[in-house]
Amino acid sequence: MTKRRNLIALMAGTALAVTACTDDGADDQDPEDREIDEFPRSETLYTTGSAWEPPGDWNPIIPGQVTGLNGLGYETLFLFDPNAVELTPWLAESGEWTGELEYELTLREGITWSDGEELDADDVKYTIELGQVDEVPYSNIWNWVDGVEAVDDLTVRVSFSDARHQEWDNFLYWNQIVPEHIYSDRSEEEILTGANEDPVVSGPYTVHSYDQDRIAWVKRDDWWATEHLDLEVAPTYIVDIVNSSNDVTLNMLAQGDIDLSNNFLPGIGDLIEGSPELSTYFDGPPYMLPANAAMLIPNTTIAPLDDPAFRRAMAFAISPGEIVDTVYDGIVAEASPTGLLPIWERYYDQEVLNDLGWQFEPSEAESILAEAGYTDSDGDGFVETLDGEPVEMTLNVPAGWSDWEEAARSISSDLRDIGINVTEEFIDAAAVDDARVSGDFELIINNWSGMTHSPWSHYQYLFQQPVQDEQHEANFSRWESEEGWALTQELAATAADDPRYEELLSELQRVSLEELPAIPIWYNGVWAQASNAVWTNWPSEGSDTPNAYPSTWNEMWRMGSILMLTELEPAQ
Amino acid sequence: MGRYFRRKLLIYGVTFFIAVTINFAIPRLMPGDPVARMLNRHSVSNSESAAALRTYFEDVFGFDVPLWQQYLNYWTALLQGDLGVSVFAFPSPVSSVVLDALPYTIGLLVPAILLSWIVGNGLGAMAARSKWLDNSVLPLGYLLTAVPYMWLAILLVWSGGVLLDWFPAARGYSLSMQPNLSWAFFVDLVHHWFLPFLSLFIVALGGWAIGMRNLVIYELESDYSNYLQALGAPRRLVRRYAFRNAMLPQISGLALQLGVVVGGALVTEVVFAYPGLGSLLLNAINNQDFFLLQGILLFIVIGVLLFNFLADVAFVLVDPRTRLGLEGGQS
Amino acid sequence: MTTDAALNADVIGKRNEHLYFALRNPKVVIGLSIVLGLLLLGLIGPLFLSSSPTAYVGPKSEAPSADYWFGTTVHGRDVFVQFAHGLRSSYLVGFLGGGIAFVIGLTIGFTAGYRGGLTDEFLNMLTNVVLVLPALVVLIVISSYMEVRGVVTQGVIIGLFSWPWVARAVRAQTFTLRNRDYVDLARLTGKRSPQIVVREVMPNMASYLLMSMILLFGGAILFASMLDFIGLGPTNAVSLGTMMQQSMAWAAIHLGLWWWFVPPGLAITAIVGALYITNVGLDEVFNPKLREM
Repeated sequence: MTKRRNLIALMAGTALAVTACTDDGADDQDPEDREIDEFPRSETLYTTGSAWEPPGDWNPIIPGQVTGLNGLGYETLFLFDPNAVELTPWLAESGEWTGELEYELTLREGITWSDGEELDADDVKYTIELGQVDEVPYSNIWNWVDGVEAVDDLTVRVSFSDARHQEWDNFLYWNQIVPEHIYSDRSEEEILTGANEDPVVSGPYTVHSYDQDRIAWVKRDDWWATEHLDLEVAPTYIVDIVNSSNDVTLNMLAQGDIDLSNNFLPGIGDLIEGSPELSTYFDGPPYMLPANAAMLIPNTTIAPLDDPAFRRAMAFAISPGEIVDTVYDGIVAEASPTGLLPIWERYYDQEVLNDLGWQFEPSEAESILAEAGYTDSDGDGFVETLDGEPVEMTLNVPAGWSDWEEAARSISSDLRDIGINVTEEFIDAAAVDDARVSGDFELIINNWSGMTHSPWSHYQYLFQQPVQDEQHEANFSRWESEEGWALTQELAATAADDPRYEELLSELQRVSLEELPAIPIWYNGVWAQASNAVWTNWPSEGSDTPNAYPSTWNEMWRMGSILMLTELEPAQ
Repeated sequence: MGRYFRRKLLIYGVTFFIAVTINFAIPRLMPGDPVARMLNRHSVSNSESAAALRTYFEDVFGFDVPLWQQYLNYWTALLQGDLGVSVFAFPSPVSSVVLDALPYTIGLLVPAILLSWIVGNGLGAMAARSKWLDNSVLPLGYLLTAVPYMWLAILLVWSGGVLLDWFPAARGYSLSMQPNLSWAFFVDLVHHWFLPFLSLFIVALGGWAIGMRNLVIYELESDYSNYLQALGAPRRLVRRYAFRNAMLPQISGLALQLGVVVGGALVTEVVFAYPGLGSLLLNAINNQDFFLLQGILLFIVIGVLLFNFLADVAFVLVDPRTRLGLEGGQS
Repeated sequence: MTTDAALNADVIGKRNEHLYFALRNPKVVIGLSIVLGLLLLGLIGPLFLSSSPTAYVGPKSEAPSADYWFGTTVHGRDVFVQFAHGLRSSYLVGFLGGGIAFVIGLTIGFTAGYRGGLTDEFLNMLTNVVLVLPALVVLIVISSYMEVRGVVTQGVIIGLFSWPWVARAVRAQTFTLRNRDYVDLARLTGKRSPQIVVREVMPNMASYLLMSMILLFGGAILFASMLDFIGLGPTNAVSLGTMMQQSMAWAAIHLGLWWWFVPPGLAITAIVGALYITNVGLDEVFNPKLREM
């Protein structure tokens, strides 16, 4: 890995290298020895849309922001396949429950770290046991994992005090395995906060070099999957560019400087029609695969938002169709009232939806309000609370996020139409963060319930308890549903093939629709626009192309996006 | 001369002191919890690691000791070159993040300032001489000084970068390049540098031209010019004196204008996504990276003070009165 | 100019004369018409425009037409409506920022120049310090700590940091004026210092003060537009600077929506440029020497 160089260092070292850079990169040169400016364009994949900060943190434990660290570099035991909706073995060859409270993992043979050491059961055992350190993000697994044991080089046996199937599955495909032979020498502090430069990895790429605005990965020639799964990543080099403005990104994409952009680019629908080189997953709306649900979050600790009937009236009053068409020009899709992403469509309980679902129907919203006792007695055109207090609420979104500003405006005006006095207010993004964490708000929009291996994470997001003074990750509505939380916890401990799993999901759908802690409005997409100038065979809806999710976002590699790289073909 | 410099240095010392104090005071005066805001931005979704970072930042801010001691600690750290750790580029220290960006900004600013000063003064002096040139330089000069820096930058990106496609529309160098000492990289660098430079140069040009034109006319109207002319001195000689005298205010003006041009460079860099302090500043704002923000402020203040000092030296070299201590009070 | 009365009569006479010449000076007339015309558009325009500057009116990314004079944005906002509201914000910032800077600069300049001595030493030091501080960066640091930013707060903080050169110039002028005979005379009659400054010193530099006010006004508008552009503009209002910022953020340059970013910048250039031209014109009015040229 080459260290970042800055111009000062360069000027200081004038004497050194003036003549050194002239050899023309002979064909037999080792790819790792090439400088960035010697990468052949036809072997290099340029991406952007993932990194917001200059690369500098390679820590896989408290994950840094470096694009590809989790996926190109470190790898997980399983991948989650969002098309088949199941886990597929990756570093592990197989894994199964061998008893009520026992799980056995078998690793693939002959996996090597980039320094030549074997990846074996000890590495897996070490990684799991790292969770015993409280500050490690996955330390919560030790609330229900009992012990872990390396049976032989390739077999790991994990015993549980409580078999939390969903949470364990989450661990299997979410957490990357780290090399014990490197990590065991490090202090706890170094493991937690060290930058982990020169990471020793198991994946198809290693870090080549980095700079303020980019990171370059170079292909390893001894990646295990080539032998085991007959997979080979096509690009020799991947250069990921730190995000800049939409304008710059669009320009790079149009010039063919960038092959894949995972940025949200408004107006891309029109642009694609005019430029045959560019493509998205779907040819028409919504263009992108859904990635997360944007929801209206009411603060349920204040009246009248504490009343489920009131929230239900709001749900009927809001027109998601208008937001999809006007605000987003059709690059997003309307959300299902369940809030579950379309990959979970098979679990949608039609009966619950028939009973409790909703659609944009202002008259129905008005009658729900009236029925629940919300009336306009002082004649100002807006309803009062049940105590007769005037209702005056604001919907806060970050200033400058134009799409959300538009959506907020549309939502507020829909709500005012049925007599709920909501005004949109745009405040500094940090102030919105503050409000969400501290609970000092009336209405906000949030989209943190994203794609995972199980709807469990969605319900965790909705119902998590206990509600604390500061809510950092979930339950921003601060809704306390004993039933919802009990069901969510039971779901965590139920295997996906257990018949109870589907029952639980139906019950959870019913609870979430009855109590409506948050109102799902639209699905944001896995923003992806690819240029076919240098690389082709991008994932798309077509049957002759791969259908991996075309994304470089860090959480997506382990959801099968890594397979996109094995399917790419150089353009002719 | 000694008095003149002592006085100047005192002013710069006090300015630096005040800039540091502003840096110290603002986060403590403003409502809200700066640490919480930084963490919320830092997308630390995990509560345990958030707690670790929080401890770190509170430690850095040193909120647990009395205010005067926080202030002393702040100075101590500063004098040791410790500006804290950047949240945006965690875990890099602020000083290294700023130093990485600094050459780009200097590379834009110094040529833009010097060239616009030289060309502007030349134009202004010529305009004072000829009526028809004056009629075009004057309105154009006022128009240029009135142009917001970023707007001209936007127009240049749009015309030269997108429509004509003659120059790259963004960044400091190509994606396929990396900083090295090859000719190819240098050409690439200059290619990217040209539009942002041009943008700064053009806006700054107008002010200098107008200033010089007015000063020369003023000098030509003055008593000594009339006297010289009455004595029958050649016009060229009179003009040379006028020009030379008009240079003085332009040199001190150079220092005074610096703050404005620096501001212009910041927004120009934002338009061009040029990897200097301006783009860094934008990132710091977007990520609520207060340490970085303050680090940038300090670096800019130091830079402006240094440049002011250089201008003072130049002033003394050009102006015999200051050199002889005849006019020490004028600062 | 030896007695008080004669001086006052002279001043009044001069004023009328100045007004006469000002109205005949093409630079003043053209400059003022542009400034006032755009001000009028900003004041009255929004009253006649039905939609809010952030409402989306329908067609997206539409070029200027009879319906949408300045076209629409990527989201279908009416650029002309934004423009009219933006003008309003810009003038407000100009008045506030320029006004506050003017008052501070005047107070400090007069006090320093008239009192002299230690007061002068201190105030002069303060002025020089604020003068070398890079104001924009300081403003950026302050603004970025604010959770809700408005046009008014922006005007105020701009005003707080852009007064020094006025103070410096006023101080220098006061220095020369304070030892004039008529000021001594006024002092002998027992008038208090503030009164002397207002009655005797100020009228003699009125033309200069007017011109400083104009420059401060333009400067504040430019400053505000830079702050807005960097994303520190008012959070709930449209300004000319935020229009440019938004057009950049939504790739207007690359999508070719020139009608989104050209008008706001052009308006700022026109306002500030017209102010400068007016200033030159006024200079000619007040300085007969220049008038002849």
